[in-house]
Amino acid sequence: MSLDLTLRLIEAVNATPAGSTTLVDVDGPADVAIANRWTAATGNSLLVVHPHAVEIMRGRMVDPIGALPENRRPGYRLWVYTNFHCNLACDYCCVSSSPRAARRVISVEETAALVRDAADTGVRELYITGGEPFMLLDLDERLHAATSALPTTVLTNGMLWQGERLRRLDALPRDRLTLQVSLDSATPELHDRHRGAGSFDRALAGVRLALDLGFRVRVAATLGHDAGNSESELGSLFDGLGLDDDQRVVRRVARQGEANAGLTVTRASLVPEVCVTADGVWWHPVAATDPSMMVADAWSPLDAAVEAIRDEYRRHRLRSDILASTFPCA
Amino acid sequence: MSGGAEVVVGAVAYTANVVPIWEGIKEYFAGSPAPMDFVLFSNYERQVDALVAGHIDIAWNTNVAWVRASRRTDGAARPLAMRDTDLAFQTFMIARAGAGIDGLESCKGRRVALGSRDSGQARILPLHFLQREGIEASDVELVIFDSDVGKHGDTGRSDLDALRAVLDDQADVAAVGGNTWQALLAAGDETVAALTVAWESEPYNHCNFTAMPSLSDERAEAWVSHLLDMDWDNPDHRPILEMEGLREWKRPELSGYDSLIEAMAAQGIADGW
Repeated sequence: MSLDLTLRLIEAVNATPAGSTTLVDVDGPADVAIANRWTAATGNSLLVVHPHAVEIMRGRMVDPIGALPENRRPGYRLWVYTNFHCNLACDYCCVSSSPRAARRVISVEETAALVRDAADTGVRELYITGGEPFMLLDLDERLHAATSALPTTVLTNGMLWQGERLRRLDALPRDRLTLQVSLDSATPELHDRHRGAGSFDRALAGVRLALDLGFRVRVAATLGHDAGNSESELGSLFDGLGLDDDQRVVRRVARQGEANAGLTVTRASLVPEVCVTADGVWWHPVAATDPSMMVADAWSPLDAAVEAIRDEYRRHRLRSDILASTFPCA
Repeated sequence: MSGGAEVVVGAVAYTANVVPIWEGIKEYFAGSPAPMDFVLFSNYERQVDALVAGHIDIAWNTNVAWVRASRRTDGAARPLAMRDTDLAFQTFMIARAGAGIDGLESCKGRRVALGSRDSGQARILPLHFLQREGIEASDVELVIFDSDVGKHGDTGRSDLDALRAVLDDQADVAAVGGNTWQALLAAGDETVAALTVAWESEPYNHCNFTAMPSLSDERAEAWVSHLLDMDWDNPDHRPILEMEGLREWKRPELSGYDSLIEAMAAQGIADGW
């Protein structure tokens, strides 16, 4: 009976320290609705509905998203995989791109609609990636659409800027576009071991070309298990290229796609960065082919997908906080 | 402790949440013209002892503790501030809907569930209000729940016990504090459809910050001024205010204690245990 439930709610929460949780037995959806109403009206938080109980935290839940730096909050940044095919076949590619990979292209028209939705949803910056995005001859049309809506970064191996592609690159705006080129080591050996012979020299040439053309360039290194302490050498290379701190990215390889070793990533352990591919919406771009990281099978409506990701992230954070606070020592 | 660098405030640990509340208040006062520390007591009697003995500068007192402190110091103890909710506290007499209880007069001859003997809202004042209507304790069958003696009803435990007695048909009507009744209403009107408010009291005062004369007016005013600056719309202040159950701190108005002073005198309630 609802009155008995309310008395039990009051008793249980009164006996619970702020920030801690308590379980209250419920019997069906009507009881859950009462518990929901009561917690909302009394400044407490209903966290989880179990089969026969609700888990209530005394006090208001602090939104874990608000605790993140603004540019790390889910929905601040949108990743778009324009395609999955690539001129390289890196042995640790997180989405298994290669010349043989299915293209899974997002068209110019779809990209334009997506970036409009993104801006409407509150996205503040776009990251275009692949595959190798510049495999698409008409990538520049997507980048014009993207930069007209939001500041945009495009990830590339920097190896394809010749002929018509170079002409189209040079016509792109400089003020809203950053070219992020992959360069995994300071010398060819390590980079070429994973990405293919000759790829280091061509990537470095691409970095220098982009800088010469007046683009804002960021260089990103992915370190595999054999990278050792190559970070300091990379630092010297970046210094030589005149790159500031915010033009350098160094991260460890994730165990995704072709990588059979590396950091394990899961939805519960990874702060999400909303990612769209031709196949749908994903938790994070580092895992955009991992079925367990798929959030929706279509990107529209984008705002619903972003909100779903935010909600799930809140639940994961909350769950980990509860586990941390209840870990038994004996 | 009076005269030290920090104003020392006493509070009773009626729930584990008292700790984060007072840690939050202490933090709020850090860097203010009147920084403070706090001391927790297990019951209000110990706290009033410490206040009167000068071991603490200020006590966060229930209405019963305030009356005791005032009596023990011949009126020298003075209230400094209260919650907005302390200025309009009420007792509700709750009965089963359809039980034919409407107004205090109809409680005559019925089973009346009351809370702890040191609870102003659940025991002392309900008896006083009944007596004021000419209903003596002997005119009703009292069902007593001394569930949280020493805490002056702060835990709400005896209110809930009294309400359960009504639901379990062990009593016909229960006296509960307004905070308990509001907590029930929070689940929605239909939840309490089986119950009815048989009677509600006029507003009266509940807690206050009580200071001894040893705390100078200057230090007291510096402390109170900063307390009153707590802002519901400030996200740093809001959690403290919510946990302590108020929207705004107020300067005291003493007339709201008259009914309790009268009740405690008439019922011969001692200044200590």
